[in-house]
Amino acid sequence: MNKIWTYMMIVSVIALTFTNPSVLVTEMTDASWNVLKLCAQLLAIYTIWMGLLEIVDQSGLGEKLAKLLSPLIRWLFKIKDPEATKYIALNLSSNMLGLGNASTPMGIKAMKKLDDGSGNATPAMIMLLIVNSTIIQLLPTTTIGLRASSGSQSPSDIIIPTIIATFITCLFGILMAKLCEKIFSRKKCKKDKGGK
Amino acid sequence: MFISNYLVPIIILALLIYSIVKKLETYNIFVKGARGAFDLVLSIFPFITAIMIMVALMRVSGLTDILVSFLAPVFNLLGIPIEVTELILLRPFTGSGSYALLNEIFVTYGPNCYISRCASVMMSTSETIFYVATVYFAQTSVKRLSYAIPLALFCSLFGTILACLICKFM
Repeated sequence: MNKIWTYMMIVSVIALTFTNPSVLVTEMTDASWNVLKLCAQLLAIYTIWMGLLEIVDQSGLGEKLAKLLSPLIRWLFKIKDPEATKYIALNLSSNMLGLGNASTPMGIKAMKKLDDGSGNATPAMIMLLIVNSTIIQLLPTTTIGLRASSGSQSPSDIIIPTIIATFITCLFGILMAKLCEKIFSRKKCKKDKGGK
Repeated sequence: MFISNYLVPIIILALLIYSIVKKLETYNIFVKGARGAFDLVLSIFPFITAIMIMVALMRVSGLTDILVSFLAPVFNLLGIPIEVTELILLRPFTGSGSYALLNEIFVTYGPNCYISRCASVMMSTSETIFYVATVYFAQTSVKRLSYAIPLALFCSLFGTILACLICKFM
């Protein structure tokens, strides 16, 4: 991430210096200002969802959902920690329903629980990221809304292709994550042996 | 449209009724949970800013256009329409930005044509990966992401190709 960011910034700034140096600072300030606006929006949304999710948590609904999904989660992430399982269960189920804004706070809490403090992303954390970015979408609400507002007669006819495509992509993602986990852990073993 | 409009109200209503059944101090619990949102947004702000500054500079410097013109033929070989290339590049970085572009595609080509359907399905098979990765890892100790982002991008690309393929038949 450090390298990508730095290189992209260098190339962009060089290109801008030649083409249009005066807009550099205004563009950066604009971008930052837009993020500030976005964050204000997110704060409003997260406040509502995190309040509601605390109710889910305290009422014991979170645990029930976690119990329901725990065989799947145990297989995917190889974890036993009940708290992490609960957050992952909430994160994935809200994500599937297209409630991205509700799932993000839960995802962050789950990541915190999965953190082993070593500074490295563990296989479980990477799996969570992959599953999150490929997860099955049962109701792509925003896309359907956009299609309707731009005058489509059948705005929701993309639901079935979407479910099929995301289902296969999700399976593919899980398989690839498991595969990479094996490859990388083997490399690590070799390194450790070489070190000794 | 029918189900999606009622989904959220029903979930919230069910939750509130359940909390009465369980005899919880619903109001106090809501406030307690809501307080955490401030810390959360504060800790993700610098990460999103860094990413969005990069995206903005890439756009005004013309780097995005160059990337699009390089990648469009490659994507085309994989069965992805040229018109969707910019959306594929933008999607990993920004949710609101990519939805704006999706809307533009709908307006330009009409919402029911092949290109628009491809774009619609690929919005779901992919995700704002850089955004999610920075936000999710913002409160952890993780400094080295290892293979996380390349793998996520690869899976997204697979999803996009698949989306275009499925839209050909459905």
